[in-house]
Amino acid sequence: MDPLILSRIQFGANISFHILFPAITIALGWVLLFFKLRYNATGDSAWMRAYFTWVKVFALSFAMGVVTGVTMSFQFGTNWPGYMQKVGNIAGPLLAYEILTAFFLEAAFLGIMLFGFRRVSNRIHTLATVLVAGGTTVSAFWIIALNSWMQTPAGFEMRDGVAHALDWWAVIFNPSMPYRLVHMLLASGLTVSFLVAGLSALRYLVGDRSESMWKALRTGVFTAAILIPIQIFAGDQHGLNTLEHQPQKIAAMEANWNTGPNVPLVLFALPDEAAKENRFELAIPDGASVVLRHSTSGVVPGLNDYPGNHPPVFPVFWGFRIMVGTGILMLIVSWSAAFFLKRRNSLPKPLALIMVPMTISGWVATLAGWYTTEIGRQPWLVTGVLKTADAVGPVAGSHVALTLAVYLILYVLLLIAYLGVLVHLALKAAKDGDASPLPGAMDAALSQQAAGE
Amino acid sequence: MSFDWPTALPLIFAGLMGLAILIYVILDGFDLGIGILFAAAENAEQDTMIASIGPFWDANETWLVLAVGLLLVAFPMAHGTILSALYLPVFVLLVGLILRGVAFDFRAKVPAGKKQRWNRIFFIGSATASLAQGYMLGVYVLGLDVGLGGMAFGALVALCLSAAYAAMGSAWLIYKTEGDLQEKAVRWLRVTLVLTALGMVAVSLATPFASPRIFDKWFLWPQMLYLSPLPILSALLFLWLWRQTFHLPRPDDSHALTPFLTLAAIFALGFAGLAWSFYPFVVPDRLTIWQAASAPESLAFILVGTVVVLPIIIFYSFYAYRVFGGKATDLRYD
Repeated sequence: MDPLILSRIQFGANISFHILFPAITIALGWVLLFFKLRYNATGDSAWMRAYFTWVKVFALSFAMGVVTGVTMSFQFGTNWPGYMQKVGNIAGPLLAYEILTAFFLEAAFLGIMLFGFRRVSNRIHTLATVLVAGGTTVSAFWIIALNSWMQTPAGFEMRDGVAHALDWWAVIFNPSMPYRLVHMLLASGLTVSFLVAGLSALRYLVGDRSESMWKALRTGVFTAAILIPIQIFAGDQHGLNTLEHQPQKIAAMEANWNTGPNVPLVLFALPDEAAKENRFELAIPDGASVVLRHSTSGVVPGLNDYPGNHPPVFPVFWGFRIMVGTGILMLIVSWSAAFFLKRRNSLPKPLALIMVPMTISGWVATLAGWYTTEIGRQPWLVTGVLKTADAVGPVAGSHVALTLAVYLILYVLLLIAYLGVLVHLALKAAKDGDASPLPGAMDAALSQQAAGE
Repeated sequence: MSFDWPTALPLIFAGLMGLAILIYVILDGFDLGIGILFAAAENAEQDTMIASIGPFWDANETWLVLAVGLLLVAFPMAHGTILSALYLPVFVLLVGLILRGVAFDFRAKVPAGKKQRWNRIFFIGSATASLAQGYMLGVYVLGLDVGLGGMAFGALVALCLSAAYAAMGSAWLIYKTEGDLQEKAVRWLRVTLVLTALGMVAVSLATPFASPRIFDKWFLWPQMLYLSPLPILSALLFLWLWRQTFHLPRPDDSHALTPFLTLAAIFALGFAGLAWSFYPFVVPDRLTIWQAASAPESLAFILVGTVVVLPIIIFYSFYAYRVFGGKATDLRYD
C-alpha cells in the first residue's frame, strides 16, 4: 500500500479529530468567563449553575484536545520527517512558542479553574478562567500563524534547500494569517454558540424551564445571531485574500475550468477532472465574477492556468459548498431563534427540534472549511517550497495502515462516548433544574457577605 | 576556546530538552504510576487517587509535549530518525495516553453504571503508556537496536520503568492521602522499589556494554573516580528509602513527602548518568547534537522566548501545586 496516501489519510484523520475539540475550547473558555462575570456582577446563582454545567463540557473537551494534540506533535516526526527537515527552521519556533506561551498556561490554570472554586478567592478563580481562555486563544494564534505560513509563505529565504527565516514579523503575520485567524476564531465562536444553544434546546424539549437553561440558551442564540453575519463578511474577505495569493485554490473552489470573464457561480455540479468539465451543473450566470471581482466582466482564474499544479477539484468544490450551506443554515436558525426569544420570550417547539441537530453544525462547517483550505493547498505542503509527496517518511505502508485502522476505530468510539456524555450532562442538568444544591457558590456568597464585600 | 553561539545553542537546547524530559518523567511518572496502581485499589480508593492527581495531570503531560517539541524544533533530524525507528512503540504510547487522558474525565461524567469501564480503561491506558515509554528507553539505550535482543531488553526496561512509575505513584499517594490508603501505598512502594532498582541496574550495565564508546566514558581512569558518586549515591538513596518504608507513615505524618523527593533524586541521578553516556549524541552513535540542530537564528529566536517564559511557567506551576496542596479531598467543580 502507498505510504503517502495512507500517511495523508492518517494525518487528516488525526487533525480532523483534534480540531473538533479546540474548536470548542477556544470559544467556550470565553463563554465561561462571560457566565462568571455575570455572576460576579449580579450575584445570581443561575449564572454559576450554567458555569458549572458547561465547565464540565470544557474539561472533557480540553482533555480530548490535549491527548489528540500530543498525537499531532509526534506525527510530524513519525510520518512527515521531510517537513521539519525542509522548513523546521520556520515551523519549529512557531510550535515552540505555542507550547511555551499557551499550553503550559492553559494546563496549569485549568486545575484551578475546574476544581479551585472553593480553594482560591473568587477573584483568582475568575483570573484562572481568563488565563485558560486566553491560553486557548494564544494557542490558536500560533498554530494559525504556522498554517497560514504554509499556505502563503513569507519572510524567509532558501539556503541549500532549507528554509531560513529572515524576518519573523513577516513569517508570523504572513499575507493570509490575519484573515485565517479571524475566520477560525469566529468559527470557534459559532461552534460553541450552537453547541450551547443546541444542548439547551434539548433541555427545553424535555421540559426544563430553569433559569440556568434560559441563560445558557439566550447566550448561545444571541451570540450565534451576532457572530454569523460577521463570519460571512470575514469569510468573504478571506476568499478575496485567497484569490490574490492562491488563485488555483479559488479556481478549484468554484470548479472554474477556464480563465475568463462572466464566470457563473456554480451552485451544484459534479466536477469531472478527467474531462475538465462540470456535470449536472446548476449555476447563476456571471455570479462568480460578481462575487470575486464585483463586476460581471471580472476575470476569474481557471484551472487551465495551472496544469498539474492545482488541487483536486471535487473535494475542494464540495467542502466549500458544505461550509457555506451550513453557514446559511446557521444564519436562518439563529436569527429565527433570536427573534422568538427577543419578541415572544419563548421558543417554538419545532425550532427547538431543529436546534438539537444544529448542536454540531459548527463542527460540520469547521471541518468542511478546513478541508477546503488544506486540500486546496495541494499538491503543495508549503506552497511553492515543499510538495506533500516529498515530505513523507520511510515508514512501511503496512505500519501506517495498521495504525490508521486503530486510530479510526478509537476515534469513532471516543466520539460516540463524547457525544453520549454531552447528552447525559444536558439531561442531568435538565433533571436537576435549579433545585440541586450549589454548596460552593453558596459558601462563597456567604463568605463574601461576612467579609463585608 | 572562545564562546560562539552556533556551538553553544545546540548545547543549551540539549540541556533544556533533558530538563524537560526529566521533569516529565518525574511529574507524569507519578500520575501514570497511580493509573497502574488503579488495578490494586478499591473503588472508593480510586476516587481519592484520582483526586490526588486531577488538577495536575494536564500540566504534567505538557512537559512531554515540550520535550518532544524541543526535539522537533531544535533537533529536527533526530526527531525524524528516532520517531520513524520507533514508529510502532510511539503509536502504542499515544493510544495509551489518549485512553488514559480521556478516561480521567469520562469516569467522572458518565452515568454511574459505566464508571467501572472507564476505570479499567484508565488502568490499561496508563500501563500501556508506561510500558511503551520503557520499551523505547530500552531500545534507545542500545542505539535504536530493534532486533530480537533489543526487543527483549526493551521489554525488560518496559516492566522496570512501569514499576518505577508505580513507585512514584505510591510515593505521591503517601504524601497526598491518609489512613488505609496511605498504608497500602507504603507497601506498594516497597514492592515497586525493588523492580525500580533492578531496572536501573539493568540499564546501567547494558548501556556501556552496548557501545564501546560509552564503556570508555565510564571505565577509564580517572573519569571513573569522578563518576563514582552517581551509582554510589543512587544505591545509598535506594537502601535508605527501602528502610524508610518500614517506618512510614509516621504517626504525625512527618516525612510524607520524603519518599517522593528521594525517588525524584534517584531519577535525576539516573538521568544524569544517561546524559553523560550519550553526550554529545542525540541519536546514539549516529547524530551529534550539532549535526542534528536547527539553524542558529531559529534557535536564538526560541531561546529568547524560553528564557523569558520558562521561569514564569515554573513559578505558576508551583502556585498551582500549592493551591491543591495538603491531603487530597474530593474533586468538585462547584
